Amino acid sequence: MAKTTLKRVHGYLAEFESASDVYHASEKIRDAGFQRWDVHSPFPIHGLNEAMGVKRSSLPFFVFFGGATGTLTAFLLAFITQVEIYPTVVQAKPANIFTTPAFFPIMFELTILFSAFTTLFGCFAFMGLPRLNHPLFASKQFKKFSDDGFFICIEARDPKFHQAETKALLEEIGGKNIELVEDEL
Amino acid sequence: MHHSLTLDDLPRDGEKLDLAKISKLNGVLLLVGGIGAIISLIYLFGFANTKDEAGHVVVNRQGEFAYSWLFAFFFFFTITCGGIFWTMLQHISNSGWSVAVRRLFENLGGGVKWMAVLALPFPLIPGVRDSLWEWYVIHKEAAHHAHEAGTSTKEALHHMAESNHHLHILYGKYGYLNTTFWYIRAFLYFAFLIGIIGLLRKWSIQQDKDGDFKHTFRSRALCAFPLLFFALAVTFSAVDWVMSMDYTWFSTMWGVYIFAGGAWGAMATSILALTYVRRNGYLQKVVSGEHYHLMGKLLLAFTIFWAYIAFSQYFLIWYANVTEETRFFLLRNTGPWWYLSNILVWGHFVATFVLLLSAGRKKKTLSMNWVCAWVLVMHLVDWYWLVIPERAPSLTKGELLLSPGAWVGDVIAFLTIGGLVGWAYLRRLAKASLYPCRDPRLLESVIATN
Repeated sequence: MAKTTLKRVHGYLAEFESASDVYHASEKIRDAGFQRWDVHSPFPIHGLNEAMGVKRSSLPFFVFFGGATGTLTAFLLAFITQVEIYPTVVQAKPANIFTTPAFFPIMFELTILFSAFTTLFGCFAFMGLPRLNHPLFASKQFKKFSDDGFFICIEARDPKFHQAETKALLEEIGGKNIELVEDEL
Repeated sequence: MHHSLTLDDLPRDGEKLDLAKISKLNGVLLLVGGIGAIISLIYLFGFANTKDEAGHVVVNRQGEFAYSWLFAFFFFFTITCGGIFWTMLQHISNSGWSVAVRRLFENLGGGVKWMAVLALPFPLIPGVRDSLWEWYVIHKEAAHHAHEAGTSTKEALHHMAESNHHLHILYGKYGYLNTTFWYIRAFLYFAFLIGIIGLLRKWSIQQDKDGDFKHTFRSRALCAFPLLFFALAVTFSAVDWVMSMDYTWFSTMWGVYIFAGGAWGAMATSILALTYVRRNGYLQKVVSGEHYHLMGKLLLAFTIFWAYIAFSQYFLIWYANVTEETRFFLLRNTGPWWYLSNILVWGHFVATFVLLLSAGRKKKTLSMNWVCAWVLVMHLVDWYWLVIPERAPSLTKGELLLSPGAWVGDVIAFLTIGGLVGWAYLRRLAKASLYPCRDPRLLESVIATN
C-alpha cells in the first residue's frame, strides 16, 4: 500500500558562509520587509537584533506587573496572617499596618520570585515553547546550525513569501544550499 | 550606533571647555557663593548671636548655624567622595565604556581639597565645634579635671561617670573617641582623599599630552588596594562628624549608608554636568545615548543599593529594639520628621526606582535631567533628615521641620557651599580636555553599545 503523506511548505532554508555574511544578509531581508523569518547560528551574533530589525521585547512590561503582583501577594499574606487572623505581639510592637518593616523581607523576596517566574515563563510563552518538534528538523543540513552552520529561514507564513521570488532573493544575497523545507502534516 | 566612527573623527587634542560660554551660570554660582560666604562667616564667628545686657547669649545663632553648615557640607562632601569613588571604580574594573565621561568624575572628586577648606570651621571655631559635638565638651571638662587632679583624661572621665552614668559610654569609647585622635583622623581622611584623586587626575591629564598607556596601568594599580582606605575614610568621616553628634548612638550600617547616598548623588550630578556641557556643544561625538543608558543603570543600581542599606539599618534597629539604638529613629519617626522619613521611603527610593526602570527613559537626555534633579533633591532631604533633627536635643531647638530663624541658616549654608563648589567644579572642568582624549580605551568608549 503506497501511502502519500500530506505536506505543507514551511519555508526556505539557506546557508551562509560566516557570521558576517548572515549579518549582512539579515539586513537585506529586513529591508525587503519580511516579518516571519529567523536566523540560526551556533553562537549569539552581536548587533543581529538591529540587523534583523527585531523590536524590543514587550516582556519587561509584563515582568513589572509580575513583580508588583509579588509585592502585593507578600503584603497580603503577611498582613492577613499576622494582623487580621492571628495578631502576634512581639516585644510590645504593634500588630497593625505599622508592623510593615517585618513584612519587607518577604515582600522583597516575592517581588523577585514573581519577576523571575514572569520572565522565565513569559519568555517560554513568547518563544512558543515547550514544543515537541519543529518543521526545520526535517532538513538534514539544518543539524549544522548548532555546530558551524549559519542559516536563515524565511517562512511561508510571511505575507511577502513567494516561492520563486523569495528563492531568488536568498540566492542574490549569497545563500547556499537553498532548500524548500516541507513539514509533514 | 557609532560603528562608523574612528579616532580620526574626533578632535586630536580633545575638547576644552570655554569658560566664556558658561560665564552666565558660573557668574551666578560665584555671586551666590561669595555673598553667602560673607553671611556665613558672620554666623560662624557668632556675630549674629543675640545677647542680653549681662552678655549671655540668648539666641545662639552660631550653634544653630553649625548644624546648617554640617548639613550643607556633608551634602556636597558625599557627592565629592562619590566622584572619587566612580573614578577609582572605573580604573579598578578596567572599564572601557566610561572613558568618555571619566573626566567629569575626576573633576567632581577633585573638589575634595576645597571641601577640606570648607571643613575648617568645625575644628577651628570653638562655638561651632562645641554645639555640634557634646562629647568634645565633656572631654574638655574631663581634661580640665585631669589637669587639676594630675590624672589622665580617661580616668577623669571614669570619675565623672560615677555621678553621671550616661558618661560611662564615653569612657568605654575613649580609645577611639578622643580629641587628639579625632583631629589626626580628620587630617588623614582629607590627606588620603586629596592625594588619591590628585594623582589620578594628574596622570589622566598627563596622558592627554603624551598618550602613554603606562598612566592607565599606574592608575589601575593605584586604585586597587587604596579602595579599601577610601571606604574607611568615607565611613569613619561620617562616624566622626555625623554619628558622633549623639555619642550614645551607634550603627554599623552607617558608613555604607552615607557612601551609598553619596555615590548616588555623584552619578546624578555627573549626568547633569554631562548634559550641561553637551548643551553647550561639547562631547557631541564622544558621548551618545548609550552612555546615558549606562550611567542611568548605575543610578538605578545605587537607588536600590541605598534603599537596601537604609532599610537594613532601620530594620535591625527596629527588630532588636535596644534603647540606645532606637533613639535615632524615635527622633525621626515622631513629630514633623515622620513626614520627612516617609518622603525618603517613597521619594528617595520608590519613585526613583520606578522612574529609572524603563530603558527608554534612561536614554533620553531630557527625562534623565528631571530624574537627576529629583535625585539631588532627595539627597538633600536625606541629609537634612540626618543632621538637622539633632539640633533639637542639643540646642532644644529643631523639633520643627523649619525652626524659626534657624532654617534661614540652612538655606544660606547650602547656597554658600553649593555656589562655591559648583563654581570651582566648572572652572576645574575648563582646565583640561573634557574627556581623556588619548586614553587607549577611548574608541571602545565612543562606540560602546549595551
